[in-house]
Amino acid sequence: MPNTENSHSKGNIVMVTDGASIPDPRESRLINAWSIALVGAIASLLGLCLFWPDPYREILSYLLPDGVMITFKITILSICCAVPLGLITGLGRISRNRLINLIASTYVEVIRGIPLLVQIFYIYYALSRFFLVSGTTSAVIAISFCYGAYMGEVFRAGILAISKGQSEAARSLGFNRFQTMFYVVLPQAWRTILPPVGNECIAMLKDTSLVSIMAVPDLMHCARSYVGTTYLYFETYTVIALIYLIITLILSKGVSIMESRLNYYDGK
Amino acid sequence: MFRKLSLALLALSLFCAPAIAADKYTVASDCTWPPMEMLGDDKKPAGFAIDYIREVARAAGFEVENLNIAWDGIFGGVATGKYDIVASSTTITEERKKQFDFSDPYYEVVQAVVLPAGTNIKSLGELKGKKVGGQLGTTGIFVMRKANVGADIREYNDVGLAIQDMVSGRIDAVICDDPVAMYYVNKKADYAGKLNLSFKTGDTELYGFTVRKGRADLVAKLNKGIKKVKESGLHDKLIEKWMGKGN
Repeated sequence: MPNTENSHSKGNIVMVTDGASIPDPRESRLINAWSIALVGAIASLLGLCLFWPDPYREILSYLLPDGVMITFKITILSICCAVPLGLITGLGRISRNRLINLIASTYVEVIRGIPLLVQIFYIYYALSRFFLVSGTTSAVIAISFCYGAYMGEVFRAGILAISKGQSEAARSLGFNRFQTMFYVVLPQAWRTILPPVGNECIAMLKDTSLVSIMAVPDLMHCARSYVGTTYLYFETYTVIALIYLIITLILSKGVSIMESRLNYYDGK
Repeated sequence: MFRKLSLALLALSLFCAPAIAADKYTVASDCTWPPMEMLGDDKKPAGFAIDYIREVARAAGFEVENLNIAWDGIFGGVATGKYDIVASSTTITEERKKQFDFSDPYYEVVQAVVLPAGTNIKSLGELKGKKVGGQLGTTGIFVMRKANVGADIREYNDVGLAIQDMVSGRIDAVICDDPVAMYYVNKKADYAGKLNLSFKTGDTELYGFTVRKGRADLVAKLNKGIKKVKESGLHDKLIEKWMGKGN
């Protein structure tokens, strides 16, 4: 997991990512790490399907519409729950109210210390004793809770990175605490927060592959099911790796574009 | 002088040891398929297939080491040579025969549909529109797919999770080999009175030990052992030990 405390300065805003972002938003050359990876992945996938249609085209047609849709569905629903949860947690972590602070910090400590796979199993099987949720729902709950905790730390670091003078100035102009946070601090903190949150979302998409253990027919589960019938381990997992790679590369470009938009004025 | 001598002895013992010992093969089983393959009280593989392969090995004069390997990937391991034999209730099918070699059959099963207590079906067709669970990549799933009755097929990592999900109420039925179904219905204390073995398919399936394609030597040894075990009456004793009388 990215160590969000490990911030380093970049221009006049503080970056809370776990390293330089790839692709670098200011990178304008045609050949860079990102384009090599994307073109390579797409070319390999097309090449495999063209030259060895026998297993590969069949594998692709088995996986493509359904498996990818379920993976996307779980990812998008989880993002929709995890980002607000992360914001609330981040605010709770910097809250002066002792109780709220304690609850938020305990939540982060507990969730961060339990592997996501264990959480998914726990919500699916342990909680089914009390109330019944479907595989997809429990996957979304587990992933949102887990990533809400991670993102809480990103939000906290992003908010703390805003200079104290900003909130002091706002307070002296008569804003109350709530207004200071939502009109002054958060709009500025977004620039810092968005790129690492985007990275968390990409990591989340990859982690949805864990839900295949609960018979949720996502991309990974479709692949395992196909392997279970045909025993084409190498071929199927090659295709799966390439599909995940292409999706995450496109998403990481999206995050990078978002980052460059947010840093528009810094470049001048 | 002494050091040289002892080194020489050591080298000699290292080179000779494998030659003296009987052939040793590693055997992979997925221990989530009781009573055929399960974990014993000592957390080591136990069950009908484990005992059976040990007896086969004794009869044919080789040694085995049992490993617990997850079903999802068990065939990949034997294909790449991580272990020599899969003894994991593997039904001999045409598709599998294309990729692997099999020993002679050592047991015969049918597919069984387990339902929650109080419900019943008379044919696979009645599962239309129902959620049917099974273990990923097992013949139960293949039978359901082939029957194509319009059921929603859920593939679980192991059959125990599918049974648990049926008891929880998430799915309506579970399909698996009949000894496994009988074990869950009759022997598992947690599920006592909650399950009903409702329906068995007519088509029998034969279990065989799986080896990598082209291991004719190993297949010959296994077949020799299986033949001896069957002739000596051990075969029936093992069935009685693990499946109970009347099977």
